[in-house]
Amino acid sequence: MFFIDIVHASSEAASAAAEGAQEGLLASLGINVTLFLFQLANFIVVALILWFLILKPLTKKMAERQKIIDESLDNAKKVQANLEQSEQDYQKRLQEAKRAAEKVLEQAGLESEKLSSELKDKAKKEIESLVAQAKRNIQLEKEEMTVAFKGEAATLVALALEKILSEKMTDERDKKFIKEIVEKLDK
Amino acid sequence: MAIHIPTLAPEIIGHIGQWPITNTIINAWLAIIIFLFIGLAVRWSVQLRPGKLQNFFEYILELLMGYFDQVTGERKRTIRFLPIVGSVFFFILLSNWLGLLPGTGSITVGRNFLLRPANTDLNLTLAMAMVAVLSSHIFGFLTVGVAAHIGKFVQIKNFFKSFKHGPIGIFTAMVEGAVGLIEIVSELAKVLSLSLRLFGNIFAGEVLISVISALVGLLVPTPFMLLELLVGLIQASVFAMLTIVYLTVATMEPHGAEEH
Repeated sequence: MFFIDIVHASSEAASAAAEGAQEGLLASLGINVTLFLFQLANFIVVALILWFLILKPLTKKMAERQKIIDESLDNAKKVQANLEQSEQDYQKRLQEAKRAAEKVLEQAGLESEKLSSELKDKAKKEIESLVAQAKRNIQLEKEEMTVAFKGEAATLVALALEKILSEKMTDERDKKFIKEIVEKLDK
Repeated sequence: MAIHIPTLAPEIIGHIGQWPITNTIINAWLAIIIFLFIGLAVRWSVQLRPGKLQNFFEYILELLMGYFDQVTGERKRTIRFLPIVGSVFFFILLSNWLGLLPGTGSITVGRNFLLRPANTDLNLTLAMAMVAVLSSHIFGFLTVGVAAHIGKFVQIKNFFKSFKHGPIGIFTAMVEGAVGLIEIVSELAKVLSLSLRLFGNIFAGEVLISVISALVGLLVPTPFMLLELLVGLIQASVFAMLTIVYLTVATMEPHGAEEH
């Protein structure tokens, strides 16, 4: 069963009011120097615990993490920039290499052309030299053969004449006769 | 069953030596013990890669500092004021919510209750309000200088300068002096308003829950207790936000002295 103890509450209030009147407004509100100092001490202890055990470590760690994140982002930006720079350098060097290669190829082409031309000229000269040499050799052989042929022919002619003429010829007449025949042959 | 309406003054439930111990002090000690345990757990487990507990507290702290940043304008100042404002906020919040725990208003020692919400003690709210307002002035002295900070209230230099500007200048200086006096009174009013607002709200809630619980003990007080959860949060936020406003205003450079 519930009932409101109004009489008790009233008497409490009346006594509190009476005490209040005696001790003043602050006392009626429950303000007491000792209790105030106690509660002040309590709050200071709470503030110290909260700051040194919770808030300071957490804020410090959060700031540290924030710093790391910022640094990481900066580093990532730098890496990205370096990557782009490297890519540009790579492309630039690639272009340079291509140009150099083209130049080398062009140079090689020119040189090969020059070399080819030189070799051709040399070969031509050698061929011409060989041909000339061959011609000379042929000429010499021809001359030798002619001489030999003439000698043979003369011998044959002499023998033939000897047989045809059946006359013994002296050496002088023989030589004279051969000479005349050879001269005719030359003509 | 009689309705026990809490008295304005906290009940003394015992003494340590000659010092009186009230039920609100017990509640404050309980809060201190809880903070100590949480603090030690956080201190030991805090690391760069946060665990669940650290993550939770960091989330709450980040949320809170976001609101504080809106007042201070920059995170650096928020961190500077955090020892005062953070302590005020979390202590008020926990103390208010501890008042809703079973046992508060039911466990008795002699004729008095063992536990009572700490903020239903005007001594505590007054102590916190005084710390808040005094620390705002200390921060003001440290930030803008003693003379500049005092000059926000009493412009002695301008008063002496005003003699050169004739009667109108003197009259203006007197008005400024009166305004300065009002400013000083308003500083006292800050302490009173902070402490009485918190005390009044939490005390009213305690009285409400006491009455409702005495009338109908089952389920009916629950909505009121949920309301008190919200009130506890709101009052902690209001106290903390006003404190940070006072701190921010006190650490702002004063406007240039008016020319007469």
